[in-house]
Amino acid sequence: MFLQIFKFELWYRLRRPATYIYFGILLVLSLLMALVTGGFFESLTAVVGSGKVHLNSPFTINGLTSALTLVPGILLVSAMFGPAVLRDFDSQMHPLLFTTPISKWGYLGGRFFGTLVITVLMMGGIGLGLLIGALFPGIPADRLGEFHLSYYLVPYLTFVLPNVLLTGAIFFALATLTRQALSTYVGSIVFLVLYFVAQAQLSDLDNQTVASLLDPMGSGAMALLTKYWTPVEKNARLILPTGLLGLNRLLWLLVGLLLFAFCYLRFRFEQGATGSAKRSRPQTAPGVVVAPTAPVLLPPVEQHFGFAQYFRQYLRLTWLGLRDVLRSPYFIAIVAAGLAFLLAAALQIGKIFDTTTYPVTAQVIEILSGSFSLFVLAIVTFYAGELVWKERDARLNQMHDALPIPNWVPFASKLTALLLVPVVLLLIVMVFGIGTQLVSGYTHLEIGLYLRWLFGLKLVDYWLVVVLAVVVHVVVNNKYLGHFVMVLYYVFTIFAGQMGLEHNLLLFGADSGIRYSDMNGFGHFVGPYLWFKLYWGLLAVALAIVANLLWVRGSETDWDTRRELAARRFTGPARAALALALLGFVAVGSWIFYNTNVLNTYRGSKARQQLTVKYEQQYGRYRRTPQPRIVAVDVQVDLFPERQEARVQGQYWLRNKTAAALDTVILNLPEDVRIRKMQLGAGGATAVVADSVLGFYVQRLPRPLAPGDSLALTFDLYYDSPGFEQQTQRTGIVANGTFVNNGTLPHIGYNADAEIGEESARKKFGLKPKLRMARLEDTAARANTYIASDADWVRFAATVSTVPDQLALAPGYLQKEWTANGRRYFRYTMDAPILDFYSFQSARYAERHAKWRDVDITIYYQPGHEYNLDRMVRGVQDALAYYTKNFGPYQHRQVRIVEFPGYSAFAQSFPNTIPFSENIGFIAKVDTANPKDVDYPYYVTAHEVAHQWWAHQVIGAAAQGGTLLSETLSQYSALMVMKQKYGPERMRKFLKYELDTYLRGRSTERVAEQPLYRVENQQYIHYRKGSVVMYALADYLGEDKVNQRFRLT
Amino acid sequence: MELRIEHLSKTYANGTQALRDVTLTIPTGMFGLLGPNGAGKSSLMRTIATLQEADSGSIQLGDLDVLQNKDAVRRVLGYLPQEFGVYPKISAEELLDHFAVLKGISDSKQRRDIVSGLLHRTNLYEVRKKNLGGYSGGMKQRFGIAQALLGNPRLIIVDEPTAGLDPAERNRFHNLLAEIGENIIVILSTHIVGDVSDLCRNMAIINKGQVLLTGDPLVVMQELRGQVWRREIDKEQLPALQQEQQVISTRLFAGRTIVHVVAGSQPGPEYDGVEPTLEDVYFARIKQAEMVNAVAVES
Repeated sequence: MFLQIFKFELWYRLRRPATYIYFGILLVLSLLMALVTGGFFESLTAVVGSGKVHLNSPFTINGLTSALTLVPGILLVSAMFGPAVLRDFDSQMHPLLFTTPISKWGYLGGRFFGTLVITVLMMGGIGLGLLIGALFPGIPADRLGEFHLSYYLVPYLTFVLPNVLLTGAIFFALATLTRQALSTYVGSIVFLVLYFVAQAQLSDLDNQTVASLLDPMGSGAMALLTKYWTPVEKNARLILPTGLLGLNRLLWLLVGLLLFAFCYLRFRFEQGATGSAKRSRPQTAPGVVVAPTAPVLLPPVEQHFGFAQYFRQYLRLTWLGLRDVLRSPYFIAIVAAGLAFLLAAALQIGKIFDTTTYPVTAQVIEILSGSFSLFVLAIVTFYAGELVWKERDARLNQMHDALPIPNWVPFASKLTALLLVPVVLLLIVMVFGIGTQLVSGYTHLEIGLYLRWLFGLKLVDYWLVVVLAVVVHVVVNNKYLGHFVMVLYYVFTIFAGQMGLEHNLLLFGADSGIRYSDMNGFGHFVGPYLWFKLYWGLLAVALAIVANLLWVRGSETDWDTRRELAARRFTGPARAALALALLGFVAVGSWIFYNTNVLNTYRGSKARQQLTVKYEQQYGRYRRTPQPRIVAVDVQVDLFPERQEARVQGQYWLRNKTAAALDTVILNLPEDVRIRKMQLGAGGATAVVADSVLGFYVQRLPRPLAPGDSLALTFDLYYDSPGFEQQTQRTGIVANGTFVNNGTLPHIGYNADAEIGEESARKKFGLKPKLRMARLEDTAARANTYIASDADWVRFAATVSTVPDQLALAPGYLQKEWTANGRRYFRYTMDAPILDFYSFQSARYAERHAKWRDVDITIYYQPGHEYNLDRMVRGVQDALAYYTKNFGPYQHRQVRIVEFPGYSAFAQSFPNTIPFSENIGFIAKVDTANPKDVDYPYYVTAHEVAHQWWAHQVIGAAAQGGTLLSETLSQYSALMVMKQKYGPERMRKFLKYELDTYLRGRSTERVAEQPLYRVENQQYIHYRKGSVVMYALADYLGEDKVNQRFRLT
Repeated sequence: MELRIEHLSKTYANGTQALRDVTLTIPTGMFGLLGPNGAGKSSLMRTIATLQEADSGSIQLGDLDVLQNKDAVRRVLGYLPQEFGVYPKISAEELLDHFAVLKGISDSKQRRDIVSGLLHRTNLYEVRKKNLGGYSGGMKQRFGIAQALLGNPRLIIVDEPTAGLDPAERNRFHNLLAEIGENIIVILSTHIVGDVSDLCRNMAIINKGQVLLTGDPLVVMQELRGQVWRREIDKEQLPALQQEQQVISTRLFAGRTIVHVVAGSQPGPEYDGVEPTLEDVYFARIKQAEMVNAVAVES
């Protein structure tokens, strides 16, 4: 019996087109993934993962196979296993079937294992797609290793088979016991969600073993097994199910079988659904015996037609549609899953070193709305289908279609109902967010920010998707095809950039980006964002009008009839509205294009890359042209924060430090600068090259500059901020929180750092191979620090001006402050030479003052960000004390920490000035009672202060090992300060983190892992490995001994 | 007011010719549309109910052009499709109220009254609060009727309304239809001849998209008087008989086969003359049309 049903199932499935369609989907998706990973797409030379790991390596195949088994794999598994038994109920076959003498085992077992075999075969599409991808012409040879069949087969046995069995058993049991198709769809979504929640929990270092065992799909265990593998290991080692991975696979294989057994035990050959307590049986009318009742006269009614009535009907239908969604158990299930996800996300808010931040509103919104958006999209997509098909699914459509209501009433009401769904969901996010804040005792609730962010900005995004989903469902007029088209759209949005569709005018719903900062609010991001949304909104309106015209009414749904009806419906108002929407769309689009491509220069990533290539090809010959060096800088920077503009004028003194006379000076400037003046000496130099696009200028001096002689470079530059960009990027000069560095000033000489570094890209463009960094033994390279190739130590003075309510800062000591022309001026000078490395900042700051001996400590911060000021001050004080005692005196009389907006998340040490991102440290919530919490505001501060020694007193050359001197030693110094404060026991957690980051970092190395002393500006080496190595060294030799070696005086 | 259908033709995308040059005039009162399954009854009704386009021909309701002026037709239309479902999770009262709103009955008191009146008339009042998902086939059918009667329909189209009703329900339904059908046009499609003979003053027989006969049931029965003959035979005799005579119907009675044949005069002694029923007319017409078609194909 089993065998017959099993064979029938195979036979049946092999004749279903769905089997082949799913196979095709998997094949195409895995092919795409393989091509992207292999760097096939021209515009994307940056490969996924490490360039050293081959496309056909066991690691890559394993990773892609297990990822694709998850998404879309799970969805397809549910689509396969759901109908395995359900199809009998759907086709009302079950009474016939259940009265035949089939055995339960034969029926359930045959169906389940038959489906299992077919599904596993179907999943073969993944392996085949990956294989074809690797064999595809155009995949660079260095991305491929040897082909081994086992590389493809092993992941199949370790991941595909057990995962299909497990998830298949889940969906099979769900479908069989509830007899509801929807339960499997929702089941698959809920499963995915819970899965990702579990994954998020895996990030904590301490519970990785447990978490990796509990991961039902085994990818956690795989990640744990391979996370420290070097590229060589990844290319050669098979990921065999041993150890934790083996245990995990065995565990979940058993769970899968147990689930099937459970389903088997619970299943009954009955008509109704098993398991559900309430069974709805058709009731018989109470009046079966019809008593002749006296005929009731029907009361007269008035019918009203006309817009007012239609509008009332529209409101009512909207409300009913919304109620349908909100009451649906599947909506509640998905939202509940989403809330579980939110809870997981809320616990992770702003984690750095496993230490959380305060739940400041911006962080809460960003994290919660980010993690919830997947659910919103899932709900919206799903219910678009449900609402559009509501009448037809209930088979009420014929009655409905014959009702005296215009077409727009049902269409618009469904659309509106669906537009209200994300409103409800965002309200949930908001309430949840406020709850999160209150629970953790945080009471600075910014309701206005919630409203603006969620309902002002975020909602528009969802609305666009809603309209798209409804339009797709109406136009396609097949629910499953409609869902499929929407999934295609989502996939397309992911791959569009890689296929060369980068401009936001081309990708439905795309915008120029939006970022929030406590300092600068939404700043200049809002305007362009809204323009893009208006643009897409107008298209959405046009699409909605077309969909309304194509709205299916009546029993004829063939395309010709629909088109004919649409043409007939396309009358005056529809025409006018469509024309208006399209006109607006084109007009706004033109306005955006004018801003992004005319006022600003737009370049896709390919064009940008070509420009870099051109720079090297055209001007590479100047690489070795001897240049004078900057010895003194005196600049005036006038900042116009509101306009995002700046005028940069001033003077460099350039000295010929070479042994020969120089007649050529090369200047580098950013492309977008307006040069009002750029004069060498008294003038009279001839321009040999003046390339404003590449920002490359070569001038021949009228008289050669003799060795030892100096020459002034006087410049007057203006940075405009015309219109807006395709992707809002100008984050340097902003309304509140300007932070620019000396990249805005001229640089001398050919800039070798601007060349393409990526090996494969260089090869593609026919550029000569280039060392990532000069060798340690290369004495010529020692002529430059790794900070600058055009200066050594410089004398520095700067005047910075800004708007009257802001404070402007530059390295140095404030000499004078004055107001003129309604602007505020600050004059800073440095009393000793510094590196050619300085910054300008301006914002409405609050100040915290402190002292360490005679050193002034000031923190310039955003009001409201007071949380960790004491820690930072302590950090500065302890650091100054330790470093002065062990390494030598501090060269300045002042330490200033200056907050800047979280457009970047770093802190950086300039001479006596430390710009510090609002996102790291300022809002950290350090629980000193918790031994696991790392006091990173304190630690980061100590690290940055250490740079005043390690960088600003001792600086490495532009060669291997250069960053060891600054970064590793700063890391070491900060560790010692921290150890002193918190004791060696507390350092364990931190060092564990550092080791973990190092080991993971090296597994994605693209060129070569260098030993610490040859570090090539590799962060995982000079920070992470450096910490561990230096701490161990201090442990072995004794802290004092190590410190003695680093004493500067 | 009358409904005039002229030269209406329709061919579906798959090539099925659903309506062929249908011309009918339907006056107020009950009108029966009789035909076997797949005859084109539903196609015709859907076209009148504004749910389907016609390839050619016209439909006029009074001076309304039905094919062009769908909105105006819908305002006076009550429609009960052959097959329909309900929202299982809401009650009959709620759904009926919902339909009442969509029919333009904006006054809530009037709506309440008409809804409760209709629920009474369709004998659903007792179960009005129950979810429709729990209704039996007959109850659902009665709900459909109630829905079709909402508003002030002047044209009611009911497609196979008595399918699934037990005899008592069917009776009630007939009474209800007869009552409302006095002053408005009610088109009733069915393949149950009895429905038409019980209810309708006018009827049409339609098969394969063509109108085979129109008229008053009494008159058309009259026309066949003296031509219908009945005979009891054994089952084995039937094929031979079908060669000889124009057999219009056969049925079993107490194990014997009873055939009706049409003939101008008594075909033989074993035949008894019978008073023609509408069923005889129906079968006679359909047989006749099939023979005409067969001849047409042969020639």
